[in-house]
Amino acid sequence: MENNFKHSQFAHCESGVISTLISSYGLKLSEPMAFGITSTLSFVFIPLVKINGMPLIAYRDLPKNIVKKISKVLNIKMNKKVYSNKEEANEELTSLVNDGNLVGLQTSVFYLPYFPKDMRFHFNAHNLLVYGKENNDYLISDPVFEEEVKCNENELNKARFAKGAFAPKGFIYYPDEIPKDIDFSSIIKKAIKKNAKSMLTPFPFAGVKGMNKLAKKISTLKRDNNDRFLKNYLTHIVRMQEEIGTGGGGFRFLYAAFLSESKQYNLDEKILDEASALLIKSGNTLREFALLCVTASKNLDKFDAKVIAKKLEEASSYEKEAFTLLKKI
Amino acid sequence: MKEIEVPKEENKTLDGMQKVMYTKDSQGDFITENYGSNIEEFATKTAVDEYELLKEEALLDMSKGISSPICFFMYENRMDLPTLASMVGMFAFRVKRHLKMKHFKKLNEKLLQKYADTFNISIDELRNFKYGK
Repeated sequence: MENNFKHSQFAHCESGVISTLISSYGLKLSEPMAFGITSTLSFVFIPLVKINGMPLIAYRDLPKNIVKKISKVLNIKMNKKVYSNKEEANEELTSLVNDGNLVGLQTSVFYLPYFPKDMRFHFNAHNLLVYGKENNDYLISDPVFEEEVKCNENELNKARFAKGAFAPKGFIYYPDEIPKDIDFSSIIKKAIKKNAKSMLTPFPFAGVKGMNKLAKKISTLKRDNNDRFLKNYLTHIVRMQEEIGTGGGGFRFLYAAFLSESKQYNLDEKILDEASALLIKSGNTLREFALLCVTASKNLDKFDAKVIAKKLEEASSYEKEAFTLLKKI
Repeated sequence: MKEIEVPKEENKTLDGMQKVMYTKDSQGDFITENYGSNIEEFATKTAVDEYELLKEEALLDMSKGISSPICFFMYENRMDLPTLASMVGMFAFRVKRHLKMKHFKKLNEKLLQKYADTFNISIDELRNFKYGK
């Protein structure tokens, strides 16, 4: 397949890679669309699963969700492969890009030399695109960077075969066939309903209920000789939202953008507008929530668990309202 | 006030790079815009500082003969126990033993090599790592 690749910067790595990948092969797909039609907006709080001693908190669906679902939703044939052997993985990637393919990769952030030092943590679900190779350097379109970057093959290999949670195992993906006529109207309708269902799930650790669960947990936090833990806990929540997320209520704004873009596909405009506005409210509230968390950890004398918890509850109430509306679309 | 306010603050942890977020332009259409957030900066900095603290504590424990160099290098590489265990392909309880000096002293070459490879250092650097070097 011929591609007309052009690097762009995105808010989120996985939706960004998919957007560039699919658009380059002829089907124009914006980042909000890629995010929305795969029903990726989410909230998860699982205190039992620990990352660096901190509970798992996520503001979108599991990594790989977009890559997995996009082919199903759009009926695209996507080649996906994991490897057990580094050399083989490297050889195949080289021959794929030398043949002019664009290839999506899952990597660890820690081993990517072009990342700022303070950003390099063992986060294994970073997505990027490889579009070429010069000598031993891969030419990379990393969706969170303004410009294209380069990475030596040894270092990229390390990043592709990092171990730990969400270990990428050299995962690559690239589309094979992209259908011409796609019925976006029905795809979007289904995706929105599905996302509404998952956000309103009765399971107490996910969706709107999960947000309230975390709020409840925060409201029980006290200052008894654990200032260091408290500070780390509060900033951990913020990091999961801001840094691993996309800035403030980034995912909420991204979904609001998706709803707004969906208006051109014959769906109930009033519902889409109202829900989009509610998600913007939620995103703004989440940013205020993050600010409260950070202000409190800077000066724990002013820490007020109730106020912080209440902010999160406020955001969850907007999302509950938004998705109750969207369920009826 | 704009519907989505884009923060334009300094964020040193990004080393001059800028990320984007979605906002609305004056026509009410969604666009992406560069932002800088000092909330984000503080959260990232706290996580980085926490590893520095853990490293210092590891060094202190090393000087008392409690912790092993593996403990120091684990934090130096921003790993926690489950991550390191997964990297070296051992059970966490076994790695946890190796974080103690008395067990570390008895480790054979092969195991030391595994750790050294994971930390991207030589086996000598690991074995002879001294406090205050």
